[in-house]
Amino acid sequence: MIGFLGMSHLGLVSAAGAAAKGFDVLAFDEDAERVDRLRAGELPVVEPGLGELLADVCGRLTFSADAERLAGCELLYIAVDVPTAPDDTSDPAPVERLLRLAAGVAAPYACVVVLSQVEPGFTRAFGELVERDGRTLCYQVETLIFGRALQRALEPERFIVGCADPAAPLPAPLRAHLGAYGCPLLPMRYESAELSKIAINAFLVSTISTTNTLAELCESIGARWDEIAPALRLDARIGPAAYLTPGLGIGGSNLSRDLATIDRLARGNGTDAGLVGTWRAHAAHRVDWPLGVLHAQLLSRVSTPRVALWGLSYKENTQSTRNSPGVRLAQILAPAGIGVTAYDPEAEPVPCPAAAFRRVADSLEACADADALVIATPWPAFREADPAAVAAALRGRLVVDPYGVLDADGCCAAGLSQARLGAPLPETHLC
Amino acid sequence: MLTHARDTAAPARTVVVGCRGFVGSAVLAHLGALGWPVEGVSSADVDLTAEGAGAALASRLREHDAVVFVSALTPDKGKDAATLERNVRMARHVAEALVQRPVAQLVYIGSDAVYDAAANPVRESSCASPSSLHGAMHLAREVMIAGACRAAGVPLVLLRPSLLFGPGDTHNGYGPNRYVRTALAGGTITLFGEGEEQRDHVFIEDIARAVAEVLGRGSAGVLNVATGTSSSFRAAAEIAVELAGGGAAVAGSPRQNPITHRHFDTAAAQAAFPGFAWTSLREGLERMVAHESGNAVSA
Repeated sequence: MIGFLGMSHLGLVSAAGAAAKGFDVLAFDEDAERVDRLRAGELPVVEPGLGELLADVCGRLTFSADAERLAGCELLYIAVDVPTAPDDTSDPAPVERLLRLAAGVAAPYACVVVLSQVEPGFTRAFGELVERDGRTLCYQVETLIFGRALQRALEPERFIVGCADPAAPLPAPLRAHLGAYGCPLLPMRYESAELSKIAINAFLVSTISTTNTLAELCESIGARWDEIAPALRLDARIGPAAYLTPGLGIGGSNLSRDLATIDRLARGNGTDAGLVGTWRAHAAHRVDWPLGVLHAQLLSRVSTPRVALWGLSYKENTQSTRNSPGVRLAQILAPAGIGVTAYDPEAEPVPCPAAAFRRVADSLEACADADALVIATPWPAFREADPAAVAAALRGRLVVDPYGVLDADGCCAAGLSQARLGAPLPETHLC
Repeated sequence: MLTHARDTAAPARTVVVGCRGFVGSAVLAHLGALGWPVEGVSSADVDLTAEGAGAALASRLREHDAVVFVSALTPDKGKDAATLERNVRMARHVAEALVQRPVAQLVYIGSDAVYDAAANPVRESSCASPSSLHGAMHLAREVMIAGACRAAGVPLVLLRPSLLFGPGDTHNGYGPNRYVRTALAGGTITLFGEGEEQRDHVFIEDIARAVAEVLGRGSAGVLNVATGTSSSFRAAAEIAVELAGGGAAVAGSPRQNPITHRHFDTAAAQAAFPGFAWTSLREGLERMVAHESGNAVSA
């Protein structure tokens, strides 16, 4: 039996993944009400396919708020999501609490694994508490991606495992579990594994930042990034899965948190992390790209502009609005008296007290009488929208579509002026 | 980089310290045109370089005033250490006045010369590392004024304008003002090199409107005053010649210094004032030509 502690996004997906591989799983959470809701099929997160998978594996996965039952698990994962503060620092308190709980109830010779992301040095500090009576403590890097979490959980590229002694064999229960996924297994020191997670995200940010910088240059010199990116993907040193799609800075909280962690660790250890500062500044710059386009083409020209906004979540297939470009835009425009009518299929409630902000339940209703449409989140449903219907609903012709969600030819045919990242802006764009 | 304290409302009274200069007179005129209560203080009223100027200025201020501090000895009056010292002394007296008589808000109009010459694009978060005494002067004044405002509990706005041009400029330095006057006189505009350097030229009335925006919203923070569009000096010269009727000429000269450009990232200004519309270089030059032509006729 494998126990997963903490039934938020990471814990749910990981527990479902283990059950899908044929293991018996105890999905534990301290919150009995949450457990009741999960038993009733109510999920606290949006993740494509998760509800269906949980239904499929219900015979092998048991939700429980009874900590004593964890004593029957030979492998225990601490898998609670780590909350991040507005200043991008993470709060490890939930991980610590569950780790202490596990240390108190785990059976002798059980293996306790920290799956939640923690900073270098965290796991080793708990070794003495956990490693008694033949028990072992490991850290395993999670690579959950909101919206693609199931695929990542079921088909991982590799497992990175931090150990007290990387030369020693992995504990048998952990080896048996990870072996079921058929991918490389990389044991290393705790600190190396903890930093590996941060290193992965730093390399992603590096690619994102380079993409965004060059895409911005495209907008000024007549080049198109969507013509360049395929050439880069065919370069083996860059790769087909590289993050080469331009975006509005760095969304969400995980990448920003890891940059903040690198910055803090570097300052404390005298390492030059100026590069990280550059990444963070550039991300802050790009998040306002829609505002810049709107200002140049609408806000500085029309006395009482109205803006339709599609997308409030920070990216598609998630409810989270943390670091969301759409929310940021609304919170700039509405307090200035500029009417913003927003639509998002899933996003959590958005704090925007300005009277000029309104959220509606239909995408075309948001467009009614608006001078421009901003598509701030590339939800799959938005790709199905008919540009002609959008044009009919809008009062103006401007569509600020950073990700190119709407069909470009359809926009042209409908007389819409589509501004997208990495391409010349509409005034000089020949469609 | 700016925070706003309220929806737009006129301050109880605005005192413009340095009301006779190029920028101060434009601010005074614009606030007056808005119908806002405004009072000008010039060097004839209070000589900020004189001992006792702090108390003299304080006696003119009221608790609910907003103060615009724009008085400075500009580079055409001297680029040396003595000018720096006099400018710093002026700021010291304003700082003393603020501590003696705290007001509702202070707006300091400085310069983008506080930034590193290599900064590109310039943002409010760019490193302030001036390469001239003029830039060092503004940075020193900013620090002095900020300290006084903190001590007195006065909200502070630091405005850092790019190159300003427009009617009323008495400096006649290198740039659009001199180009227009030369073009109207049918002369030859001589460029440094081929005039390749790109700069963000701000029309004088735009900074006056920007001041009104931060006064009206009771703002605090740092804001660059720039349009977000940079043009070469040659482009400005050629527009000036065209608008003046085409009788003048534009000529290059042997380049003495490497080409440097300056661009601004104006996202902070857009976020602070989403509907603010800037005057384009061409529109500003048209206004400049009309103004200078009118002067020529009336003279």
